[in-house]
Amino acid sequence: MLALTSPYFWYTTRATGMVALILFTIVVTMGTLVANRVGGTYVGRFEINELHRSLSIVAMLFLVIHILSTVLDSYVSTGLISAIAPFTSSYRRLPVAIGTIAFDLMLCVWVSSLLKVRIKNSSWRFIHWFSWLAFASAAAHSFLTGSDSHKPWGLAVIGLCVLVVALAGLWRFFGRPVRAAGRTALSPLARAPLAKTSNSRPASSQKVVRRR
Amino acid sequence: MGVKRRPSTFVLKVNPILCDGFGHCAELAPELVNVDEWGYPIIRQEPTKINNAGAYESAKYAVRGCPRQALQIEKITDAQP
Repeated sequence: MLALTSPYFWYTTRATGMVALILFTIVVTMGTLVANRVGGTYVGRFEINELHRSLSIVAMLFLVIHILSTVLDSYVSTGLISAIAPFTSSYRRLPVAIGTIAFDLMLCVWVSSLLKVRIKNSSWRFIHWFSWLAFASAAAHSFLTGSDSHKPWGLAVIGLCVLVVALAGLWRFFGRPVRAAGRTALSPLARAPLAKTSNSRPASSQKVVRRR
Repeated sequence: MGVKRRPSTFVLKVNPILCDGFGHCAELAPELVNVDEWGYPIIRQEPTKINNAGAYESAKYAVRGCPRQALQIEKITDAQP
């Protein structure tokens, strides 16, 4: 029987927290790849999407372990309620609350994706925007209360994760292709050289381009 | 006479309002979907036999894989059994 006072829960919390942050960085970045229509020639777009979906489950698994080991650790007075309700932990109230908020937002994103076929797609898309906020909260949480966030390597990992997601966010905002431009595996354009501008199209086309 | 009629064919239907031209359907169901030069799907209009297991599986993958949930399978029951 594991003693609840053993430091192993703390080790588990530290390790899974760091891994979860890295995994969520990858998940958010892959989601951006899907949204920006990356793939279609050497790797399928649907494959990036599937990887995004699968990795998000792995990341959530690490996050649940991270939370459970924190709850079970008797050194920190963080109860099961604090996993869901922010500002209920007497231990490091604010940083833990930020982590709780991140978890709540991720739960929203996760549950809405599980119910994707049952809810309106516009609702799902709206809720999916929460993931950016969730990542920001998670990064702040890891920086503020992570046991390794003041060590150079820990700071480097958190900084790198934030940088990658920030670049992904900028790319999502500015670099969204106007249209897929037919660059999927089966398209005759698949092997054609990339156009200079993503919105080049035949002059004969009368099609109005929707831009969001 | 109560003859049970089961659908024998299907067509893949796209909701053009939801579709944003991600092109995942053309990758997942290449035997049913082509893309135009803007990346939007051109779907095979002729009904496909449901017992064409490969095509039917592909269609289900395409429906599941669509990022906009814009696809659905429409089953067709023949007029005469």
